[in-house]
Amino acid sequence: MRDVAIVGCGMTKFGRREEDLLELLSEASLAAMKDAEMDQGSVDAIYVANMGAGILNHQTGVASALVDRLSLLPAPADTVENGPASGASAIKNAFLAIASGLYDLVLVAGGEKMRAVTGWEVTDFVASMTHRQGEYIYGVTLPALAGMFARLHMAKYGVKPEHLAMVALKNHENGVRNPYAHIQQAVTMEGILHRPEAVVNNPYIAEPLRMFDCCPVSDGAAAVVLCAAERAKDFPHTVVRMAGFGQATDTHAVHQREDPLDLKAVRGAAQAAFKMAGLKPKDIHVAELHDAFTILEIVESEQAGFFGVGEGHLALEKGVTRLDGKLPINPSGGLKARGHPVGATGVAQVVELVWQLRGQAEGRQVPDAANGFCCNFGGFGNNVLAFVLSRE
Amino acid sequence: MKSVKGYQCKECGRVFYPERKICLGCGGRQFKKIALGKEGVLLTFTKLHALPMDFESRTLMLGIVEFAHGLRALGQLSTDDVEMGMKMRARWDVVRELDGVQLYGLRFYPAKR
Ligand SMILES: [Zn+2]
Repeated sequence: MRDVAIVGCGMTKFGRREEDLLELLSEASLAAMKDAEMDQGSVDAIYVANMGAGILNHQTGVASALVDRLSLLPAPADTVENGPASGASAIKNAFLAIASGLYDLVLVAGGEKMRAVTGWEVTDFVASMTHRQGEYIYGVTLPALAGMFARLHMAKYGVKPEHLAMVALKNHENGVRNPYAHIQQAVTMEGILHRPEAVVNNPYIAEPLRMFDCCPVSDGAAAVVLCAAERAKDFPHTVVRMAGFGQATDTHAVHQREDPLDLKAVRGAAQAAFKMAGLKPKDIHVAELHDAFTILEIVESEQAGFFGVGEGHLALEKGVTRLDGKLPINPSGGLKARGHPVGATGVAQVVELVWQLRGQAEGRQVPDAANGFCCNFGGFGNNVLAFVLSRE
Repeated sequence: MKSVKGYQCKECGRVFYPERKICLGCGGRQFKKIALGKEGVLLTFTKLHALPMDFESRTLMLGIVEFAHGLRALGQLSTDDVEMGMKMRARWDVVRELDGVQLYGLRFYPAKR
């Protein structure tokens, strides 16, 4: 297997965007190609991550549309759908294709245009990835699964609503420093939890989770250029290698898991990624976790091996995961503040890590970060991917 | 009204809901339907305030109930006056109408003391 490096990256600002999906994907792709200082003739293939343009935007065959829009013809093009983990799955496909020796240079773009439909429709669209007979028919949504999970986890480990709010506070604070973030506004504990008006400003979505425990619904796209590591020195930036990759699945219906609090697929993906990289959680300097809900950042930080099970909220409390802490988590603002255009997220996580490892994350740079970790969480943890990235 | 059934692996006895084609425990492919116990225990729940389309109510109670054999099932709850560990009974009822079709599933009621 050949080593693979990331030689270009770019993204659009996330948020409510006027442009259509293809325009967003094009903007991110052109930014990544410009970053790599490459011409379009050198692209061997493209993978496009998208969860639901067929449902949200009346658009299918997204990769075929993008390869044409960018005049990368006749490069092979595939659309990759793996729910909210589509982004990481598309990068995985590019990684495998280069590692195998089939291609040398691959463009990966992930994007979603979610605000084209109403909130009810988008909620139903995301909910449609839950188990049809066991979950979906009841009106289960992703926030509902996260709410039931949070109630159990909080009761077992003594996690308080304040701990969940600490994730939101931290990630919103980081988001203010990220010009690409959907929400660039800091919040306070009093404002979202303790003041009387908090019930209005921060209403319950799926008890015990409130609005500020959930990521926003966003439009946006992100893109990376992957290359065989042996050729990476031909490109302008510090070489960032895809040192490790892991993926694991778990039962579709959350209630069928032996222990519904045990996110086995997160652990499996993380362990595989660390093993391939030959690194341990303690070697990581910066992490991007899939905080679609505040509780998930806490639990993923445990299952990925950074903290003991039931101790993630304690690390959070001590400031370990803050930008100035020992292991900054979600310096980008995470899904919570950067936003979560589902197809784009996994790619955006890698983009942030590359910027951090190159030392280009202006305003939110983790000092001298050499190894990064990210986790892209599909479904409610039934299909999870993790990457370890290392600076050469 | 249909009664509520779980699917028990004929090889190892593990029970699932909803059904699986291959047993998660032993790989067995033969299952028999068994009745859920009369009562289960409410493992966790949520009051959902942001409902997907097609629901007319403003909130929806959802929960996971654990029955005998370790079998768990998710369903709607009949009331928001619940707590973790409470005993619940299951009924098979219309839980959602989707594209004009009535869908049946589990609705849990507090067991009478
Ligand atoms: Zn079995």
